[in-house]
Amino acid sequence: MSSTNHKDHAALAATFNKDEPRVEWHDQTLWWVRQKRDKAAAKVPDWEILRDTASRIKDNVLSNLSGYLRQFEEEATRNGITVHWAADAQEHNEILYSILSRHKVDKMVKSKSMLTEECHLNEFLHQKGIEVIDTDLGERVVQLAGEPPSHIVLPCIHKKKEEIGEIFHEHLGTPAGNSDPQFLTHAARLHLREKFLTRRVALTGVNFAIAETGEFVVCTNEGNADMGAHLADVHIACMGIEKLIPQRHHLGVFLRLLTRSATGQPITTYSSHFRKPRPGQEMHIVLVDNGRSTHLGRKDFRNSLKCIRCAACFNTCPVYRRSGGHSYHTAVAGPIGSILSPNLDMKKYADLPFASTLCGSCSNVCPVKIDIHEQLYKWRQVIVQENGAPIGKTAAMKAMNWVLSHPGVYHTAGKTGRWFMLNAPFTVNNGLNAWYRQRDMPEPPKQSFGEWYKKNKQ
Amino acid sequence: MSSRDKILATVQNNQPGPRDLPHHIPSGPTASVDLDSAFISVLESIGGSAFIVSGYARIATILHEQFSDAHRIVSGCPQLPTFEAGRPGEDPHALENVDLAILPAHFGVAENGACWITEAQMIERALPFISQHLALVIRRKDIVADMHEAYARIASLESAAETPYGFATFIAGPSKTADIEQSLVLGAHGPASLTVFLIDEQLSDAGFF
Repeated sequence: MSSTNHKDHAALAATFNKDEPRVEWHDQTLWWVRQKRDKAAAKVPDWEILRDTASRIKDNVLSNLSGYLRQFEEEATRNGITVHWAADAQEHNEILYSILSRHKVDKMVKSKSMLTEECHLNEFLHQKGIEVIDTDLGERVVQLAGEPPSHIVLPCIHKKKEEIGEIFHEHLGTPAGNSDPQFLTHAARLHLREKFLTRRVALTGVNFAIAETGEFVVCTNEGNADMGAHLADVHIACMGIEKLIPQRHHLGVFLRLLTRSATGQPITTYSSHFRKPRPGQEMHIVLVDNGRSTHLGRKDFRNSLKCIRCAACFNTCPVYRRSGGHSYHTAVAGPIGSILSPNLDMKKYADLPFASTLCGSCSNVCPVKIDIHEQLYKWRQVIVQENGAPIGKTAAMKAMNWVLSHPGVYHTAGKTGRWFMLNAPFTVNNGLNAWYRQRDMPEPPKQSFGEWYKKNKQ
Repeated sequence: MSSRDKILATVQNNQPGPRDLPHHIPSGPTASVDLDSAFISVLESIGGSAFIVSGYARIATILHEQFSDAHRIVSGCPQLPTFEAGRPGEDPHALENVDLAILPAHFGVAENGACWITEAQMIERALPFISQHLALVIRRKDIVADMHEAYARIASLESAAETPYGFATFIAGPSKTADIEQSLVLGAHGPASLTVFLIDEQLSDAGFF
């Protein structure tokens, strides 16, 4: 699909699909998370009204984003927080580096932030000689494995516990062959406590920022964002500009939706509200655009900026569950990533809107009612207009167009096709037929509807 | 043009026409539900535990018994004089050896088992996270139905407070993770257990223990 030289979603998914039992396991694990979401949602009587309310609050946010950004900057500054603005990933990374170098720090801890994944912060800082330790357990696992997260909420969902046991054996010195989750989690707890206690700078993401009060909220189950932030001399929080909400009481709506949609929990263990640095501490917020303001101008696609990163669309997606997060080759995978990424780079991510069956399940579970599958469909049209379709697809479409506009050819082609499928199935059931690669061909009918109609017409 | 001005100009130019905020925010059922039993049942389902007690004396008895092996127990409740009183301003790193922190919280939320605790109640911001175990104390009547009521309560607490909080958090159960094959493990980075005490002065201890 893409003209660049990296492997596209279909090729990466094909690699993932070589190990069928693993695909089955991956699929079932995520489906189990999806079912937990369903149970949690069903317990809230006004769930649908809640989704609708969240979506409308976000409509308001997008319609007045510049006003809310100014208000947030003013309030946060009044609270003693230093506010930075980054136009793109490069500027975001430079800002981080300048804060770290000012403090002469070459090590820091980081809690989950998909934005810093999007900006490739770790690689950037690594090149500058700065060590970043990811402290979310799943993120630490993939970091030690030298991989990016494959899921925005469950970063190492693609890894079996035996593999994690091996990684910990190699890097943390746990006994070989021990893959007990309780044991491994405890080993990580000890390993990361030492990091929390010795690092002077902590970076966190932001789940919600409140224009009215200039505070921001970070949600974790592990407590790693808090452990990092409250022990560090400098707390840096990085957020995309779309993370704003107007007033604090709106959190009532979003915090009810977020974790129920994500994992089926009623709320995360910690929902921490940061408003002022503690005495003697420095607190920074980096507001990052990186394409978001342009995206806001795309009428058909701006709703994707409502996303609260719960990953419900990942867990329900039949394509994500069977192709794995790495096949999306982007920081935010899954259906939402497939409509956000083309905005960043339409050529590099041209394959992603095609990595969907358009079944619509993503839109049905989205807590802020983003029309995900409709946007996937619309992106396909934009991408074909901009980049053109692959030669095979274009040729097939042209041939189809010619056949369908010539009734005589259509009837002959149908008859010929049926004859070959019945009498010489090997001519269609082979690797040259793209359809046959993942599917069985249907059993051909003995006659077409046209022939049946002619025969049975009174 | 600075990045700030450039971003704001593009946003302003690209944002759609005005859309009103919804006037009505939905809320779950309230009066008919037994809030404290709902709170306790959710808290237990997320790995926490709860005691309804008559007062601080009972809390002290329970915790001395449960944590008889503990090296360091720090309390933020002046009504619990048998424990070490937390010292504001202590280097948060020095709290690493705390086995149990006992802290007051403002209120609980029935729908998710969370407790709202603000900076002034924490002694140090790090304490509720760095301690190996955590106990929170609220009054039995201070349980709200859902998060909408929770934020209404926070607003009234804030307007009554001399200074607004600099940091505050909802804590729902012990620190946990399921990152390894979705197996739930309690005690990821923070406390491995959470006990919430619900004080009801009307209650007699007889029959409870």
